[in-house]
Amino acid sequence: MGFLDFIHQWRSNSRIRSLEQQLQHRPTPALYLQLADAHREAGNTQKAAQVLKMGAARFPSAPEITRRQAEAEKVERENEKRRLIDRIQTHPNPILYARLAEVYKADGELEMTSATCQKGIKAFPKYGGTYLVLGQIYVEKKQWQEAAAQLEKSVELDRYNYQALRLLAQVYMQLGRPADAAQQLEAILYFAPGDEAILELLKKTKEAAGQPLSGRQAAVGAGIQRTGRTLVQQRGADGARQVKTTIQRISAGSQRDKALNDGMANLRAVSGVTGAVLVDQYGLVVAADLDQSLDESLVGALITNIYRTTSGNAVKLSVGQFEEGLIEGESGNIHIVQLEEMILAVFARPDVKMGMLEKTIRDFALVAVQQK
Amino acid sequence: MRNILAKLNKTHGIRGCMVVNRDGIVAASDLSIEADETGIGAVTSTILAALEGALKRIHLGRFGRFVITGSEGKIAVVDAGQAVLLVLLNRDVNMGMVNVEIKEAAAAVMEKSKM
Repeated sequence: MGFLDFIHQWRSNSRIRSLEQQLQHRPTPALYLQLADAHREAGNTQKAAQVLKMGAARFPSAPEITRRQAEAEKVERENEKRRLIDRIQTHPNPILYARLAEVYKADGELEMTSATCQKGIKAFPKYGGTYLVLGQIYVEKKQWQEAAAQLEKSVELDRYNYQALRLLAQVYMQLGRPADAAQQLEAILYFAPGDEAILELLKKTKEAAGQPLSGRQAAVGAGIQRTGRTLVQQRGADGARQVKTTIQRISAGSQRDKALNDGMANLRAVSGVTGAVLVDQYGLVVAADLDQSLDESLVGALITNIYRTTSGNAVKLSVGQFEEGLIEGESGNIHIVQLEEMILAVFARPDVKMGMLEKTIRDFALVAVQQK
Repeated sequence: MRNILAKLNKTHGIRGCMVVNRDGIVAASDLSIEADETGIGAVTSTILAALEGALKRIHLGRFGRFVITGSEGKIAVVDAGQAVLLVLLNRDVNMGMVNVEIKEAAAAVMEKSKM
């Protein structure tokens, strides 16, 4: 690097630091735009897009920042489509199909979305995420019966999928089946207690079904308890056998599964670690190594709920974009790390060696992102 | 309550702190940055419900603390009995260095809440 390049880079870094400091104390749309420009001029377009996204989340009614963010997202989606198509050719897995379909959907290419889902379902029929995207397409087309069929399949494969359950409830309402809709919403409250949006929907569905709620607290308590029993009854004796089967169920025997299995085993080998679970962006468990007493799908749903609640509100909490979280309970901790579109949760005793755990998580993150 | 928060805010790396009731109502706050306090209070209550539900079902006992690291900073949500203490921190803060002060402040808030 020449002297002039060095000076240019130093100036660019100083400008970025200064703008970041100003943003921390007094955020404005103009500052977000300046910071995004500074990152773009420094050659970091990904970071520039990230800043625009945060700015748009913080100032949703500022026209310039929302326009620039939409443009950046469009470019990002085109890049992602190319990357996903290449990856499907070389290392296919069900999450790639579902993600590609979702990216087509975001661009309004409904036929491509549908075709991608069909291909994904043909290749990996046991993955619920693809049925969910297909269900969303039918919802957009207002084809309620078809939407219900796809979403029921998605829920059948993963009964703790927040998005699928919620959408299925809305579809049942369209089909005039409020009692069935209420059942789906109660199932959500089992792993997402106190979810305001779900409680509101549940209230409406119960009223439509002629079973008005007596009050908000009653709804939360009754919903959780009743659903808890229903889920246990549905799960029955095969509940324990579901543990540690996720990787095989989705795509048996691939190189990716072996890499993720090895990564999980490495995490579990850290002294004090009691288990780990990797969840995709649809809340479906990609890999898990948990205590036999825990239902991996339920754990995945609980972790996704924490992640969704936290990351969705991270800007409001003045911390920017969610990266990781550490939950400390009385008898153990949960480390939650975002790995691009996946979430890794590691369970550990309070006396775990944090340095070793963080290193192993970083190693696992590399493996998981490469295998995506 | 304000004295507890003001004392905690003197710790290097802390950008501000708040006490929020478990139903999301802000009881006291001392922030050095511009933030939507009411919004933070409401969000905290929602996050707390998700955390407590998960800890119960995964059998990890009572909620103690949640530290979120984001691209622009950290936030610690700490159990303080009938309320929670929220601490906004710089992203690069060494948690080991501020843990003692946060624990002391949470204990003091818990005592005050009982009165």
